[in-house]
Amino acid sequence: MKPDTPIDLSAPAAERARVDAALLGRAAGGDRDALGELYDRFSRPLFATALRITGSAAEAEDVVQEVFLSLWTRARTFEVARGSAFAWAVTLTRHRAIDRVRQRNRRSELLGQATAEEAGTQPAPAGPDSAAALLAREHAGAVRSAVASLPPEQRRALELAFFDGLTQQEIAASLRQPLGTVKARIRRGLIRLREIIGGHHD
Amino acid sequence: MTDETMQEYASLYVLDLLEGLELDAFQAQLARDPALRQLVRELAEAAAHLAHDAPDASPPAALKARILARLDTPAQAAAPATVIPFKVPCWVPWAAAAVFVLTSAWLSQLYLGSRAAAALLRDQQLLADFELKSARHQLEAERIISRQELSASTAGSTDLNRALQLARQQAADAEAQLTRTQQLLAARDTQLAQATQLVADTEARARREADLASLKIATLASLLGSSPQALAVAVWSPTRQEGVLRVEKLPALAPDKDYQLWLIDPQYPIPVDGGVFTVDPASGAASYAFKAGKPVRAITKFAVSLERKGGVPRAEGPMVLFGP
Repeated sequence: MKPDTPIDLSAPAAERARVDAALLGRAAGGDRDALGELYDRFSRPLFATALRITGSAAEAEDVVQEVFLSLWTRARTFEVARGSAFAWAVTLTRHRAIDRVRQRNRRSELLGQATAEEAGTQPAPAGPDSAAALLAREHAGAVRSAVASLPPEQRRALELAFFDGLTQQEIAASLRQPLGTVKARIRRGLIRLREIIGGHHD
Repeated sequence: MTDETMQEYASLYVLDLLEGLELDAFQAQLARDPALRQLVRELAEAAAHLAHDAPDASPPAALKARILARLDTPAQAAAPATVIPFKVPCWVPWAAAAVFVLTSAWLSQLYLGSRAAAALLRDQQLLADFELKSARHQLEAERIISRQELSASTAGSTDLNRALQLARQQAADAEAQLTRTQQLLAARDTQLAQATQLVADTEARARREADLASLKIATLASLLGSSPQALAVAVWSPTRQEGVLRVEKLPALAPDKDYQLWLIDPQYPIPVDGGVFTVDPASGAASYAFKAGKPVRAITKFAVSLERKGGVPRAEGPMVLFGP
């Protein structure tokens, strides 16, 4: 199913990736302002992702801080040919946030306690947006519309994999669907998202 | 492998949903196939945009300043990354092979150098032993001479004592030299043991890389007119002589029937038994880990037939899946 009004994000996405890569290159050379600008561009979706995964504002802050410190120390290893800077930052955020949840669950199992004790589940007040942050928000809104245009069953399967870190079998059990159906939904959802984001049409 | 199967594996891969033998096989395929690497790159990019699907939330205003304040170490001074940022290590097997070759060459050089140094030290030890013995012999000879001289005349006793002291000093020096040489030899032996261990570790890693590179993935298509949607994917490791078969949408089995997997290797006149399996009656799906009934060199085809319960030594029932 395609959206009624096609959303063309491919050209802005390519330009954004080029600018992000240039900023990361400057950060690799020790330019703190460049990292600050990357923060303005990335921090909102990264924080939202970490918050969605961990359910804790305090943990989400820690995750975002770790990710930006990683970007700073590893900027020299970044290669454009292997993906965009944003995709790299999202991968780091997702892995760290899911690791924290798994560690927390293991701790809770060991202690026999509930996990709801985590402090600071509400985010602290946000600061004023910079120009870069405003542009990033505008882009995020367009992407969110694109994701919302996916069929609900495809979107749900992708969300369970992306935000909840579930296995194939766990997603199938959660959705009460056969494994093959779940895998097909994930494939169709990601292919469709690739078409919308990257302008690919198979 | 069909495009659709490849897309499915790539989609699961970028979301960290592949594991075990399937993950190994996909990574091996990724290292061989540039088009697949491009597909994975694009799907990873698309997946990253799911981050925008999280409920909108802003980090606290102080976080940026806190992060920037912690940038104490310039990026250039940071240690090289020890973590690969993406799970798309398309070049890893080639790089690992190159590293293996370079490391092996270096370790071989170190190993041979250590052996040569150890041999040299052993020679030095022998020389020191020889010097010690010579000194002792000289000491003994001079003792004998001095006794004779003492009996003949006490006038030369002063010179004799001096010679005796000299000989004792030479013996002490030789013993000290011997101790030093033995310590150096022990240190070299430790280095040699470490180098040997490194060579063994590197060889083990190389064997695992070679194992991954040899994995085979095959798609089996339905031969059933009644269930044309039935599908299977087989992953086979020739070195481990084991594999995994995933099937979907196969018809439910009667209680007295089993599905039986066959591995077709040209060296044998009839297909090799891969064992029997059943499927979930509702979905027709199964994940079956199998081993060959006898050693196989190269599997050219996989087949699945419908057989009586427990399986048969030679296929009798109708073929339901075949491929690639």
